[in-house]
Amino acid sequence: MKRKLIESRRRQPRLSVPTSTAATMLDVMVALVPALVMAVYFFGLRVLTLTLVSMGFSVLFEYLYRRLTKQSNTLKDLSACVTGMLLAMCLPPTAPYWAPVLGAFFSVVVAKQFYGGLGRNFMNPALAGRMLLCTFPMLMTTWSEPFSWLPVFGSVDAVSCATPMSYLSNGALPPETVAQLFLGQHAGSIGEVSSLMLLLGGAYLLLRRVISPRIPLSYLGTVALLTFLFPIEGGRLEWMTANLLSGGLLLGAIFMATDYVTSPTTLRGQVIYGIGCGVLTVLLRYFGSYPEGVGWSILTMNCCVWLLDRAGRPRRFGVPPFDGTKRRLHVLAENLSQIRLVKPKSTRFFERGKVPGEAYLDQVITFGRQTAALGGVVIGTVLIILVVHRGTELTTYQRTQQQNRALLQQVMPQASYLTETPYQSPNAVSISAGYGDEALVGYVVEIQVPGFVGSITMKVGVNTDGRVTGVAVISASETLGMGTQALEEDYLSSFVGRTGTIRSSGANAVDTVSGATVSSKAIISGVNQALEVVAMLEIEEGGYEEGEV
Amino acid sequence: MAYLFFSGIHPAPRKELTRKKPLALLDVPPEKVILPLDLCKGPPAQAIVSVGQRVKLGQLVARAGGEGGAAIHASVSGQVTAIEPRPHPWGGESTAVVIANDRADTPCHTEPVADPNALSQEELLERIRNSGIVGMGGGAIPAHVKILEARGRVDTLIVNAAECEPYLTADHCLLLERARQVLEGMRALARVLGVERTFIASESDKLNAIERLERAMRRNGDRVRLRTVPTRFPMGAEKQIVRMVTGREIPPGGKPPQVGCAVFNVATVYAIGQMIRRGQPLTHRVVTVTGGSVARPRNLWVPVGTPLTNLLQSAGGLKEKPDLVLLGGPMTGIVQTELTVPVLKNTGGLVCLAPWERQTDYPAELCLQCGHCLASCPMRLAPVFIQRALENREMDKLCDLHPEDCMECGCCAYSCPCHIRLVDIMRRAKKLVRENGERAV
Repeated sequence: MKRKLIESRRRQPRLSVPTSTAATMLDVMVALVPALVMAVYFFGLRVLTLTLVSMGFSVLFEYLYRRLTKQSNTLKDLSACVTGMLLAMCLPPTAPYWAPVLGAFFSVVVAKQFYGGLGRNFMNPALAGRMLLCTFPMLMTTWSEPFSWLPVFGSVDAVSCATPMSYLSNGALPPETVAQLFLGQHAGSIGEVSSLMLLLGGAYLLLRRVISPRIPLSYLGTVALLTFLFPIEGGRLEWMTANLLSGGLLLGAIFMATDYVTSPTTLRGQVIYGIGCGVLTVLLRYFGSYPEGVGWSILTMNCCVWLLDRAGRPRRFGVPPFDGTKRRLHVLAENLSQIRLVKPKSTRFFERGKVPGEAYLDQVITFGRQTAALGGVVIGTVLIILVVHRGTELTTYQRTQQQNRALLQQVMPQASYLTETPYQSPNAVSISAGYGDEALVGYVVEIQVPGFVGSITMKVGVNTDGRVTGVAVISASETLGMGTQALEEDYLSSFVGRTGTIRSSGANAVDTVSGATVSSKAIISGVNQALEVVAMLEIEEGGYEEGEV
Repeated sequence: MAYLFFSGIHPAPRKELTRKKPLALLDVPPEKVILPLDLCKGPPAQAIVSVGQRVKLGQLVARAGGEGGAAIHASVSGQVTAIEPRPHPWGGESTAVVIANDRADTPCHTEPVADPNALSQEELLERIRNSGIVGMGGGAIPAHVKILEARGRVDTLIVNAAECEPYLTADHCLLLERARQVLEGMRALARVLGVERTFIASESDKLNAIERLERAMRRNGDRVRLRTVPTRFPMGAEKQIVRMVTGREIPPGGKPPQVGCAVFNVATVYAIGQMIRRGQPLTHRVVTVTGGSVARPRNLWVPVGTPLTNLLQSAGGLKEKPDLVLLGGPMTGIVQTELTVPVLKNTGGLVCLAPWERQTDYPAELCLQCGHCLASCPMRLAPVFIQRALENREMDKLCDLHPEDCMECGCCAYSCPCHIRLVDIMRRAKKLVRENGERAV
């Protein structure tokens, strides 16, 4: 009754921190001013105009997008200005004026507004814009010497000069002294040259409580530790200082990684995030193809923020440490213990009491019976098909190989292999060449001659001297007992060494096999044909046409 | 331990307005006092006086409404003019006994305890029960209820002098001026509870009060441990002070006796000491009248039931129109719209904030995910995630984030740069989780 407070009187703090989003953003910009001034001092007024172009177009794109999509005007929170300024800070002073415009479009419209504007984007907009511009060759790799003041208008002569980062990525210490690195007298992006000014800006942000030291310290600490432990050139300390002071590390650690929206909110998460950024940066610097790794590592860690937030959530007040972990493990163990192995119902082993999981045993058995037969048949068939297929395939191949080898042995023992030739002859089915040790031994001619029953296909080997090296019958359909004697190896070997025209009787004769006269004569004529073919080859080089091989 | 050093907030304390001001009586005694019967957590008291009856200072005017209630005594002497509904500082109206002050302060017959050590525990408890002492730090839980709850279960008594609210110096003032009585009350309380280990926890900005306590202790030979806690809001909250002093964490939804601690506000302990020494019931308390609009901020010793106008009058009135008048500190105080409402037993301060002292109500902006709320939460909650889960109506996630642990201290809302009204959001989340839990059961 009386205790129920009216809404407006409800207890709530009547004081609040004297900041706002816009004030926070303004603080960031103020903190960036020293670095910008230093860059103007080193590279001339072009730096300033680049920054103004970048900021102007960021604001313009934000305004236009919000206007065109009929959303509220968010220019007052100054986040677009900060994005523009940070984007300019990542550009080399030699960049053409279209670069910040394109970058600003990508940063503000694609990386930020497409996700719902400030507070919803998951990627650091300025870094996203910068990384898009990285894809243009020469744009982000052309640096100018300090004190070579660049013209405000017009294009800049590409005076490429090495940054400390390019030395470091090649595993060498930069030639600049520590003081030069610290003050910023070296080539580099607009915002990253002067470590001193960046640190000043960082101190300002820390004092104003805009950022907490967790992310920058864990980031820089990790990089320092890793570079100290694994130096590539020079002393440990030298290498560490050079790594800390060169490249975009300080800019990234102080201004980019600490972006509220895209960094974790939990305290532990922030520390893990910083360490992750540091490890990735060192890895990319050591092993990456691109000299700098800060941008990529921060963008990569941006994508992990939700996970870090979840992992970094503090322990609930009043709950003992690791209680959550213990509970989760307990649940896991309970779930695992639910899994029971079903043992067959066997009264012999389990006479008293029930076996765990017995209730499901009948179901399992029925299901098994129903499916076992079908499954068995399917699996068996598949297996048989597989085995037969593989097996036959293999044996066929092996047999052909063996036959070929035997054939070669019979036809032309001197040759070690045969190759097809493009030679053609009206009498021969095919002509192949037999090679010994890299030298032509002879030709093997496949001939078809009419036999007693059907035709006989045979192979005749003829060496380069025109002598028969061997004869083999590949296929014949002669009557068993009647003509087959003529096809046996004994008879066929009598042709070996013959040359000229072979007759069935008289000089240079191979006697016919009695009882297989027709077959013998057929073979003799075949050998003669082969000899002729080879002789013709020798004389007119066959039907060989130039360029045919 | 370190968590507490870094969580919480440190708003501009503005205690310098009244820090060095001595404890003073009202310049002009009030013409009437209004004693609402609804003075403590628990059932309202029942009036036992009638209109027209004359009462003396310290006379019982309303009996405790039950075991959980506390009695109410007349804080001035005079005549009861009305028993009628009057505006209550907590909002709405409540039946109140109105006593016209005769400015004589005729004391009621009291029986001071000759030797407090001779009293048994039960007698002491009975006396505390009869004197209408309630928790004076804000909870307004009757002291005997708390003692009964804690007796036999605790090994540590903590006297909470960590006045973490900005502006308020009432407890500080009490420690400076009445250190001896505080120690006396503490001794009695320790005896009732049967504990040996006693602490007084005070903030690091009250070193002079600690020095005063030490001197008083040396004289009495008390063995009280003094603990200095960091000056951060809300270090004076029960769970935080127990954690800071003993390192024990009270489980969610629990109370200090669960971890063997009893926490009493220093004003409550003083009231107990006063009762033992003089036999007086709780009729007066220290109220800090302060704020930018107050002409002469002071620490005042006022009868319970004095209308706020009298307090302001003694503080020199208002020098400019206040933006907000708060009963209690600016972080958790209750806004007052009329100044006729009375001072209650748990009113530690009357703060009139000038417009320049508080930031105007900014419009809430989109959350930046900066995590300041998370870093400042003394209960280690994550208001930013709770807000997101509430927006997306993700009940499972919301339950997992335990918004029911929130004690509505307002640190998150204070530290939010986007001025999101996080206390409201937490309250809504709590309600939702509670309802959901009931449905689940």
